[in-house]
Amino acid sequence: MADKIPFRTSQLQKELMAKYYAAASEARAAGVPVAWVTAVFPVEIVYAAGVFPYYPENFGALAAARRVAGKLSEAAEARGYFYDLCGYARCGIGDAYSREHPVGVIEKPDLLLCANTQCGSLPKWFEAAARFYRASFFLLDAPLVDEGNSQMVRDYFVQQLQEMIAFLEQATGRPFDYRRLEEVLQLSNEACRLWNEILDTAALKPAPFGFFDACLHMAPIVTWRGTREAVDYYRALRREIQERVEQGIHALPGERYKLYWDHIPVWPRLKWFGELFAARGALAVASQYTHSWAYRFDPDRPLESLAENYVSAYVNHDFRRRIDLKIQLMNKYRVDGYVLFSNRSCKPNALGLYDKSNEISRLTGLPGVVFEADMADLRFFSEAQVQSKMEVLFEQLASR
Amino acid sequence: MIQDLLAEFVEAVNFPGRHAREWKKEHGGRVIGWLPADVPEELIHAAGFMPFGVPGGHSGVGLADAHLQGWVCSLARSCLALAVQGQLEFLDGLIIPHICDTTRMLGGIWQHVHPLPFMEYYRLPRQVERPSARRYLQAELQRLKSRLEEFSGREISPEQLNRSISLYNRSRSLLRTLSRLHRENPGRLGSRMFYDVVKSAMFMPREKYTGLLEKLVNCIQKEKMERPASVRIPLLLSGAVAEPPEILDMIDQAGGAVVADDMQTGYRYFAVDAPEDGDPLAALAVRQLNQIPGALFDPRNNPRAAFLVEKARNHGVAGVIFLHLKYCEPENYDYYDNQQALDRAGIPGLRLETELGTSSLEQMRTRLQAFLEMVEGTADGG
Ligand code: SF4
Ligand code: SF4
Repeated sequence: MADKIPFRTSQLQKELMAKYYAAASEARAAGVPVAWVTAVFPVEIVYAAGVFPYYPENFGALAAARRVAGKLSEAAEARGYFYDLCGYARCGIGDAYSREHPVGVIEKPDLLLCANTQCGSLPKWFEAAARFYRASFFLLDAPLVDEGNSQMVRDYFVQQLQEMIAFLEQATGRPFDYRRLEEVLQLSNEACRLWNEILDTAALKPAPFGFFDACLHMAPIVTWRGTREAVDYYRALRREIQERVEQGIHALPGERYKLYWDHIPVWPRLKWFGELFAARGALAVASQYTHSWAYRFDPDRPLESLAENYVSAYVNHDFRRRIDLKIQLMNKYRVDGYVLFSNRSCKPNALGLYDKSNEISRLTGLPGVVFEADMADLRFFSEAQVQSKMEVLFEQLASR
Repeated sequence: MIQDLLAEFVEAVNFPGRHAREWKKEHGGRVIGWLPADVPEELIHAAGFMPFGVPGGHSGVGLADAHLQGWVCSLARSCLALAVQGQLEFLDGLIIPHICDTTRMLGGIWQHVHPLPFMEYYRLPRQVERPSARRYLQAELQRLKSRLEEFSGREISPEQLNRSISLYNRSRSLLRTLSRLHRENPGRLGSRMFYDVVKSAMFMPREKYTGLLEKLVNCIQKEKMERPASVRIPLLLSGAVAEPPEILDMIDQAGGAVVADDMQTGYRYFAVDAPEDGDPLAALAVRQLNQIPGALFDPRNNPRAAFLVEKARNHGVAGVIFLHLKYCEPENYDYYDNQQALDRAGIPGLRLETELGTSSLEQMRTRLQAFLEMVEGTADGG
């Protein structure tokens, strides 16, 4: 197997992320409040309010990828936060209490803005952090949606956005600028559009770009969404991918199978999985995780459309609907099989996967596996077990 | 007399489905189950159904393995296991409150594994301090009401709902009286018995339960004059549920008594009433918004820690026992701050991690005894 040619854009990302972390300190020095936000959060409002958004989940993912999550977690565990909690939260809490900071000090918040669309761990973590840092906490509450309640949840969300705007006006001492919000929404739209065009190229056979690549290129869509930087970044990345298509450079030379990968990667083992799959000619091409940043806002109805987009995130749906969404992605990318990651850290994504797997195979006829691990903490990773699960899948793929 | 009454409550707890089955036979009605916590039983009752609480089970928890990973709390696992085992065959419906990620995901799995004619969620707001919470909550209660009406085929009139509210308020107020009597003389009933009486409310038709409870309270009040109060080490229990119940026995046997708590199958269940004047749906919303702090809500600055300290002081408890179900994230996130607050107030605390359906309790007994000896010493010295 030929070695992978690294993306030119990766260098650009390094610079962009360095700039992001520097921007947090610059903001603080300039008296701009730093707000902790969650990944699935209407950050457009935060940018429009002139507040700097910081993503502690990113800090957790970084610690996990650098394999120090267990170490940071120990400081949290020593205080009675148990290792059964979400690994990101343990990293964040652990870093707050730690004297050693193997991935840099987690940025101290002036405000904590939390949406519980993704999970209930984030509000509990942010609340604990709000007490630790003595900063004020604001929860954007997003009850699970289905046909029966989606309108009332949207109304509820819009009203909360108004409450949040008032909260930010207080924090900044400035009236909220709705014209600025319109610009931010447009920038966000553009970045999301580019990002999803990029993700779509994974459907080509062979593909120039896969899920593991997407994981390495998604930090800007999370952190810089709503800014010019994100748009420029994804323009450059799309151009590079286009060139690769023209030059016949593929994500996996000799691609035989496409796989759907549910949820996030096992960060400290990202490469290991990539190689395991590559050795069998399998390319992970799509995931609900990377596809979560597919927002389309209507700048003429800013709050309503923010509510529509953020309330209907994948993870805020019920069992049936989530099976449908997974199958839609599987169909769109014409996958040959699927891998569902039962992530010990993340109950909202992991619970029900065993029954979902049975349903998906019944409905699509595709082979698939569910494996157990933790996205951050290698104490819960059994290489032999995971490998043997994958071998079963590869055998099924080969015999089809 | 008291012994006969108590036997009825104990039997309801030991055979939780008995009353529901009998009620169905007698009334030809339907039974709607609910999982803890905070589901507005008044709505179910006003719709003409019998509400039935499912606060966990004790057998065959492993039967949930195929559907819920082993690192999910045993409360959720044991409830689903009851359904899988066919022990909830009398349920016509179920309402699951969304109080954590587990309950949020459980409904879809339950519906898939063990479908029921009526399945709903109670999606209560997770912030309670801003105006949006009340408005949304009222809409959610309205939605639940309409769904129950669809299922029953008739409307719930405001008068009906008011009647159900006052019945529930009545039983809650009796439970508060009982809890005061228990606090005054904790040796009379003992902790295990007191919480059995509370819990049996979840398994009995409410009319019948309230009648029995009224008798019990009257009897205890009457004999109060004649019996001297026994001396126990007063404790506060904090957590979701008092499970496994053997722990209460152990506390009693070690000379302690639980005289205060913040549990879903304890004080949280009867602490707050719904107002009886005005719009009944609004009243149910008010009750929810006034609930005592717990891990399931996200109030700013954790008034729960302050609440625990205040309660511990008011009731003069010698120590606080955190009874945490393994894998329950909400409780674990609160723990450090709660413990810190207790430390600052000079109140000793002990955290025990438990699971429903486990048999190895001896280690826990040793820890409990050691804790009780320790706090008894402190209490004497202070
Ligand atoms: S990994 Fe899961 S539990 Fe942790 S913060 Fe993300 S969504 Fe929440
Ligand atoms: S015990 Fe904890 S995790 Fe389990 S259902 Fe209750 S709140 Fe959720």
